Amino acid sequence: MTFKAKFAGALLATVMSTTALSGAFAADDTIKIGVLHSLSGTMAISETTLKDVMLMLVEEQNKKGGVLGKKLEAVVVDPASDWPLFAEKARQLISQDKVAAVFGCWTSSSRKSVLPVFEELNSILFYPVQYEGEESSRNIFYTGAAPNQQAIPAVDYLAESEGVQRWVLAGTDYVYPQTTNKILKAYLMSKGVAESDIMVNYTPFGHSDWQTIVSDIKKFGSAGKKTAVVSTINGDANVPFYKELGNQGIKAEDIPVVAFSVGEEELAGLDTKPLVGHLAAWNYFQSVDAEVNADFIKEWKAFTKNDKRVTNDPMEAAYIGFSAWVKAVEAAGTTDTDKVLDSIIGVSVPNLSGGTSTVMPNHHITKPVLIGEIQADGQFEIVQETPAVVGDEWSDYLPDSKNLISDWRKPMSCGNFNVASGKCGGKGS
Amino acid sequence: MISGFVFRALEGKIVVAIAILLGIAILVPALNLLTPPDSALHIPTYAVSLFGKYLCYALLALALDLVWGYCGILSLGHGAFFALGGYAMGMYLMRQIGSRGVYGNPVLPDFMVFLNWKELPWFWHGFDWFVFAMAMVVVVPGLLAFIFGWFAFRSRVNGVYLSIITQAMTYALLLAFFRNDMGFGGNNGLTDFKDILGFPVQADGTRAVLFAMSAIMLALCLLIASAIVRSKFGKVLVGVRDAESRVRFLGFRVENIKLFTFVVSAMMAGIAGALFVPQVGIINPGEFAPANSIEVVVWTAVGGRGTLVGPIIGAVLVNAGKSFFTGAFPEIWLYALGGLFIAVTLFLPKGIVGTVQHGLKARKAIKAAAEAEKGRDEAAPVVQAQAAE
Amino acid sequence: MTLKSLLQAFLACLILSFAAPSFAQSDPRPLIDALAKADFNEAEKLLGQIAASGDARVVPALNAFAEGDLYFRKSDNLVFIAKTAGSGFELIDPLTGTSAGQAAKNAVTKIKVNNNLRRVIRSAMGGLTLLSPDRAVRLQAADAVLRSPSPENLDLVEAALAKETDKEVKARMEEARAVSVLSSDRSIDEKRAAIETIKNLGGRNSLGILNSVSGSIDAGLKGDLDAAIAAIESEQQLWDMAQNVWYGLSLGSVLLLAAIGLAITFGVMGIINMAHGEMVMLGAYSTFVVQDVIRDNAPNLFDWSLAIALPVAFLVTGAVGLVIERGVIRFLYGRPLETLLATWGVSLILQQTIRSIFGPTNQEVGNPSWMSGSFPVGGMTITWNRMWIILFSMSIFVALLVLLKKSAFGLNMRAVTQNRRMASSMGIRTPWVDAFTFALGSGIAGIAGVALSQIDNVSPNLGQSYIIDSFMVVVFGGVGNLWGTLVGALSLGVLNKFLEPSVGAVLGKILVLVLIILFIQKRPRGLFALKGRAVEA
Repeated sequence: MTFKAKFAGALLATVMSTTALSGAFAADDTIKIGVLHSLSGTMAISETTLKDVMLMLVEEQNKKGGVLGKKLEAVVVDPASDWPLFAEKARQLISQDKVAAVFGCWTSSSRKSVLPVFEELNSILFYPVQYEGEESSRNIFYTGAAPNQQAIPAVDYLAESEGVQRWVLAGTDYVYPQTTNKILKAYLMSKGVAESDIMVNYTPFGHSDWQTIVSDIKKFGSAGKKTAVVSTINGDANVPFYKELGNQGIKAEDIPVVAFSVGEEELAGLDTKPLVGHLAAWNYFQSVDAEVNADFIKEWKAFTKNDKRVTNDPMEAAYIGFSAWVKAVEAAGTTDTDKVLDSIIGVSVPNLSGGTSTVMPNHHITKPVLIGEIQADGQFEIVQETPAVVGDEWSDYLPDSKNLISDWRKPMSCGNFNVASGKCGGKGS
Repeated sequence: MISGFVFRALEGKIVVAIAILLGIAILVPALNLLTPPDSALHIPTYAVSLFGKYLCYALLALALDLVWGYCGILSLGHGAFFALGGYAMGMYLMRQIGSRGVYGNPVLPDFMVFLNWKELPWFWHGFDWFVFAMAMVVVVPGLLAFIFGWFAFRSRVNGVYLSIITQAMTYALLLAFFRNDMGFGGNNGLTDFKDILGFPVQADGTRAVLFAMSAIMLALCLLIASAIVRSKFGKVLVGVRDAESRVRFLGFRVENIKLFTFVVSAMMAGIAGALFVPQVGIINPGEFAPANSIEVVVWTAVGGRGTLVGPIIGAVLVNAGKSFFTGAFPEIWLYALGGLFIAVTLFLPKGIVGTVQHGLKARKAIKAAAEAEKGRDEAAPVVQAQAAE
Repeated sequence: MTLKSLLQAFLACLILSFAAPSFAQSDPRPLIDALAKADFNEAEKLLGQIAASGDARVVPALNAFAEGDLYFRKSDNLVFIAKTAGSGFELIDPLTGTSAGQAAKNAVTKIKVNNNLRRVIRSAMGGLTLLSPDRAVRLQAADAVLRSPSPENLDLVEAALAKETDKEVKARMEEARAVSVLSSDRSIDEKRAAIETIKNLGGRNSLGILNSVSGSIDAGLKGDLDAAIAAIESEQQLWDMAQNVWYGLSLGSVLLLAAIGLAITFGVMGIINMAHGEMVMLGAYSTFVVQDVIRDNAPNLFDWSLAIALPVAFLVTGAVGLVIERGVIRFLYGRPLETLLATWGVSLILQQTIRSIFGPTNQEVGNPSWMSGSFPVGGMTITWNRMWIILFSMSIFVALLVLLKKSAFGLNMRAVTQNRRMASSMGIRTPWVDAFTFALGSGIAGIAGVALSQIDNVSPNLGQSYIIDSFMVVVFGGVGNLWGTLVGALSLGVLNKFLEPSVGAVLGKILVLVLIILFIQKRPRGLFALKGRAVEA
C-alpha cells in the first residue's frame, strides 16, 4: 500500500518537474523564437519543410550577427498534427521557454486552437499559410494569402485570358474551401455568371478515388461554354486528382484547373507532363526571376544538402514574416511584445518575387499575385503578375463581413471595426 | 444499501488513489494561486492546465477500462463519446460568447455567420443553459452508446467484430463532423471560448477550479466504477468477460449487462470530454480520429487493464511522456511511443499496476497466471482485482 | 497596362500591318521572329497569320512553341528552336531545321506560352498538317480540328478531304468538316447534314460542340439541333450507368488490393494487424526506390520498372513481415486484441523510419507508358491504369487462392490455423508456418503497394489512409474467407460509386460505414461466415 502511494506520488512529482524544468536553463545572451510545426502525423508532409526553413533563416540571421547583438535560438516542438496539442505546445513555448515570437501552424484548425493562447499570454504568432480570412487577431500576423490575394485574381485571369464562362468549384470539405468558394460564388455572380454555370463539389480529406468527380467535370464541361475548375482541394488529395485528370485526358487547353493549394512541393510527387498548362495562383513561385530568389534557392539547397529540394509559397511567407519580425525588433530595440506590435506595422521587407511586402495595420501583408502554369519539369511558368495586393481579412463578398475592417494601430486597435455603425466589435450595436 | 454499495468500493488501492486525487484537487490549485510565482513550490498555470488535461484523459481511460478490463468489450470508439461530451460542452461555451464574437451576432456563433447561416439549427437550442448542456454531456454519449450497444449486443456481435465496428462508428462521426453542413464548425471545430458560468475561461482561478473539478470527477468516477465492479453485478460482469456463454446459460441477460456497462462507460467518457474542452480551449473533429481511440486503449494497457487505477496511471504517464518527447526530442517521439506499445504488450502484458501487484503477490499471482495461460485466449488479465486482493 | 507595353503593342501592330501582307505568302520568318517580343494577345494574332500562310514549313516551329522549346536570342531577337545540349542550348532554325550553333543558357530567353496559345496552335497545326503524307499525322490533325472547331479550317479540311483515300482518316475528316461547318456561314442544308454527322458521332465532345452553337444557330435548325442533343444525352445516360459500374469495380479492386494481405494476416491468422497499411506503404516506397535506380542507371528500362518492383516489394515487405512476426507477434498468439497494440506500435515506428529516411514529402512514382492515358469504349472512357489494377488485383486473388488450396504450404497453413495442436502433432513446424504465413500476407500487401503507388500519394501516411477501409472490407466479407474479401471489396466499391453521384463523396462514405455497422448487426460474422466449430473458438 505504502509502496503504491509512494509510487503514485513519485509519478506526480516527476510529471510536474519534467514539464516545469525544461525551460529553466535559458541563457541570457540569446533570443529564443518558437517553431510550432507538426513533424509527425498527417500534416508533417507540409509542415516539416517550414520548420527547416525557419532553422535556415535563424542560422543565416546568426551569421549576420543575430538580432540586437544577441544570437537567435530556435526552439522546435512537435505538435504532431494534433490540434489541442498545438495549444499546449504554444503555451509551453510562451510561458516556459519564454520565446519572443512563434512561427508556426499550417491548418486553420491549429491556428484557431492557439489563438486564445497567444491573446491570453500576449505573444506573437506569424502564420505563413494561405487561409480563408475572416479573422484578425492582435497577436497574429497572417503572411500567407487571404482569399483576395489568391482566389479572386486567379478567377479574373481565367475569365479574361481564357474566356471561361462556366466554373467548377471543387474542394475538400472543410472551412477554407467552403469559405473561399462562398466568396468566389458571390464574386462570380456579381460579374454576371449564372448560378447554373457554377458547380460546387466537395470531397473528404485524403480522397483518393476521383473517377466519378473527374467524369462529372467532363460532363459539366460539355455544355458548350468554356469551362474551368477552381480547385481548393487539400494537399494530399491532389496527387490522385491530377493523376486521374491526366489519365482521363482532360488537357489544360480544354478544361484548365487552377489550384490554390498546389505548389512546387506537391508537384514533386507527380509526373507533371500530362498536366502542363494547368494553373496555380500563389504569391511566389520558385521560377520567379529575381536575384533575391536565386540566392534563397541556393541557400535552401545548401542547407538541406539536397539539390532536388524545391521552394514554395508558404516558405516565402515564412521568410517575409521572419524578416519583418527581425526588422521590427531592431526598430523597437526590444523583443517586448507590445513594442514589437507597435513597430512592426508599416515595416517593409523584400519578398522573394523581387518586390517588397509591407505589414499592414490589419496584420496582413501586401504581396503580388502570380498566376503560373505547370511545366513539364514540375515548376511553374508565370503567365501573369499583379501589382502588390493588400490582404483583405474581412471579405467584401460575404454579407456579414463586408462592413468590417481591422486596424491594430492606436487609437482604433480593433480587429472587427464596423464601418457602418462606427463601432468596434462586429455588428457594433 | 447505497452506503454498503459505496463501502464495498473502497478497496485499498482505490482509497489511496481517491485520496491522492482529492489531495491534488486541493493542493495543486492552492500552490498555483497562493504561492508567489518565484517560489520553489509554485506550480505555473501552464502545468495546471496541462495536468488537468491528463486527468481528463485518465478519466477517459478509466471509462474504457470499465468496458474492456471488466466486460471484455474492446471499444475502439471511445474517443467518439469523449468528443461528443466535448462538443456538448463546446456548444455551451460557444453560446456563452454571445455578441462578443467577431461579427457581434448575439445568437449565431462566428462560423455560422460567415458561412451565411440565418438561424440557429434546432440542435443548438437549449445549449445556452448550463444545466441542459451538462445533461447533454452525459445524455448524448449515453444515448449513442445505448443505441449502438442495443443493436450490437443483441446481435451478439463481439470480439474483433465489435472492435472494428466501434472503429467504423467513430470514423463515420469523424467524417460527419468534418462537414461544415453539420453545423458544428467543420474541421475548425468550436473555439475562442470566453467564459464558463460567467467566469473567464482563461483566468488562473477558473483554470484551477477546472483542474480541481477534473480531479474530483475522476475520483468520483473511480468510486462509481469501483462500486460497480465490486458489487454482485461486477462479479457477473467479469463472468461475461471470461465466459460469456456460460453466464448466458446460467440465465443472465448478457446483452443487458453489457449494455449497462457500455452506457455508463460512455457517459464517463462524455464527462471527460466536457472537462477537457474548457481546459484546452478547442474541440474539433480530430478528437474522433480512430487513432485517438487506439491511443486510449494503449494508455489502459500500459497502466494495466482491469485494475481501474492502472489506466489512470497509464494515461498520465504516456501523456506526460508525449509532452516531454514532443518538446525535447520531436524527431524521435514516434519511435519512443511505438517502442513503448511493443514493450508493454511483450514484457508487461498486465500493465504497470498489474505487474506491481504481480510482484507483491508473486507466488499467488504466478500460480493464477499459469492457470490463466492454460485457459482461454482473451482472458489475459486473469490476475483480476480479486485475485490480487 | 503600362505605357511601355502599350507602346510595344502598338509597334507590334505596326510591324504586323506592314510585314504581314507582304511576307505572308512567301516567308513566315519575320512573323515567327515577331513572337520574340509579343505578349499573349499579340502572339495570338501572329499565330493566326502564321496559320493563314498555309506554309507547312512552320509546323516544327509551332510544335516547339507549344512545347515551350521556342527561344529568342537576346543579342538580335531572332527566334530559334532550342534543344538542351550540355550546359547550354543548341539553336535550330525554326523553318529550315538546320543548326544555328550553340548558345549559353542566359543568352536566350524562352518565349512564354499559355493555354490559350496552345489551343490556337493546336487548331492551326490541325489545319496545316491535314495534308501530311503520314497517315497518323493526318489522323491527329483531323482530331485536332474536331476538338477545336473553327470556320477558318473549313477550306483546309475540305481540300484535304478531297485528296484523302484512307477510310478511317476520311471518316474522321468528315466529322471534322461537320463541326467546322456548324460554326461557319454555310447553307442551312449543309449545317443540317453536319448536325446529323455529329449526332452519329456521339459522345461528350459532340455534345459540347452542339451546345456551343445552340445560341447562334439559324432558327430553322433549332429543332434538329435540340433533337440531336437529346439523342446524344439519352445515349450518354446509359453509358454513364455502365461507367459508374466500372468505377465501382475499379474502386472495389483497389479496396481488394488493400485488403487482401490483411485477409491473410487478420482473416486467416487472427492478428489485428494495424501495421498492414505500413506494409502497403513499404511496397510503394520499394517501387519508388526501384524507379529511382532505373532512372539513374537504365532509363530505357522504365516501362519495366513495375515488373521489377513487384518481386522487390514482395521480398522487402515479406522480410519485414518475417522480422515482425519473429520479433513481436509470435509472443502474442492467442491474444488477438493485444496484437492490435503491438502492431500499432510497429506501424508508428515504420512510419517514422520512412519519414526519417525519405523525408515527409510525397515521392514521385511515375506511370509507365502502358499505364498512362485512356481509351474509349463506346461512350465511356477507360483509363489504362485502372484497367491494369483491376486485372492485377484479380490475378493476385486467383494466385493466392491457388496457393492456399493447391500447394503444400497452403495445406500446412490451413492446418495450423484450423487446429494448431493437431497440426503440430502431425509434424508440421507450426512456428515456421506462422512466420511464413505472416510474411506472405505482408508480401502481398507490399505488391499491393506497388499498384497503389500508381494512383495515390507515396508518402509516409499512405498506409493510414487504407487501414480502416481494409478492416471494413475483411470484416464485411467475413473473416477467414478470401471469397468474402473479394465480394466484400467489390460490393463496397460499387455501392460507394452509386451513392456518390446522388449524395456526394463525403456523405456517401459515411453512409457506407453506417451500412456496414448495420450489416454486421444482421450478420455478426460478415458476408461469408465460416461454418462449423471454428466459429465459437
